[in-house]
Amino acid sequence: MEERELFEKYRETGDPALRNEIAEKYLYIAAVIAKKFVGRGVEYDDLYQVASLALVKGVERFDPSKGIKFSTYITPTITGEIKNHFRDRSRLVHLPRKVAELRTAIRKETERFSAEMGRTPTARDLALRLGVSEEEIVRSAEAGSTVSLDRPAREEDGGSFHELVASEEESEFERFENREELLSALEGLNDSERMLVRLRYGQELSQTETARRMNVSQMYISRLERKVLAKLKDTLKKGMA
Amino acid sequence: MKEITMRIPLKSEIMTTVRLTTGGVCSLAGLDIDRSEDCKVCVTESLLLLLHAGYREATIEFAAEDGLKISIAAAGERAEAELAPEDEISAALLGALAADVCTEKRGGTVCAVSFRFDS
Repeated sequence: MEERELFEKYRETGDPALRNEIAEKYLYIAAVIAKKFVGRGVEYDDLYQVASLALVKGVERFDPSKGIKFSTYITPTITGEIKNHFRDRSRLVHLPRKVAELRTAIRKETERFSAEMGRTPTARDLALRLGVSEEEIVRSAEAGSTVSLDRPAREEDGGSFHELVASEEESEFERFENREELLSALEGLNDSERMLVRLRYGQELSQTETARRMNVSQMYISRLERKVLAKLKDTLKKGMA
Repeated sequence: MKEITMRIPLKSEIMTTVRLTTGGVCSLAGLDIDRSEDCKVCVTESLLLLLHAGYREATIEFAAEDGLKISIAAAGERAEAELAPEDEISAALLGALAADVCTEKRGGTVCAVSFRFDS
């Protein structure tokens, strides 16, 4: 069946089997777009999950009579959902830890490689051995470059890194307060919601692995996670008001 | 205005250099990390469109002033090529991530792409 014909039939009948058939036909678009966003601190599995859900929603909403192709319609929809997902949770939780882990791995692998080969490894050598991209190796090295603590860190007043680091240490109390607020917000969750937080944010497992351990589907985990995050945000906002 | 121009062979091993340069220029133009990452995606998608159109070289012009304007054009001869099914997705992705996306076509295939990111 042609694209237009398929969507017209689905709009007429609302048959879930047909919706699934269409979604499966275009699932490759979700995979292609999810791959474009890898390397920003969220695992591919999670991105693919978000993209697939957006695809299903898009199939339900797409109107073939508007005269645009489904791929043109669905790409910005999936992209938007992925970007919302990034905004919701990714960077603050995952990236610093991943970068730190990669830097440790690079240091160890550099020592091992040098001992074995009698030369310092290139970014490509390390990328091949560690199973990451060359870009990640280079960026990770950039993130770890050393700077003088006395060099000016703030252009406006010439304040040094020494001063900046000291003032950041003073906010330790603030961090403690935030932690207390978060713990109290977690008390408002039920058992399965708390389990999800523990697996996803404590153990940093993927949605797939979390679903396996909780014996539910990935779709369920994705929906539950959105619900939990909204609930926590709401509770924390009320706490700050 | 800060302007940087690169001429590159369209080969996969060059993409890391292109992405790192793009990241550096984005930082120069004051784009935040999210926009820098989006910008890198747009640059690589544009280069893929040119590669799929049969070109083997391209020039990338970065102009950083009130954000970042990037113009990517095919250079050199064009070889025989078949359009890839993913090209439509690349074009839609560019439209979703960047502003003022313009594509120029020659003989039915894309030969130049330009877009802008606000800081």
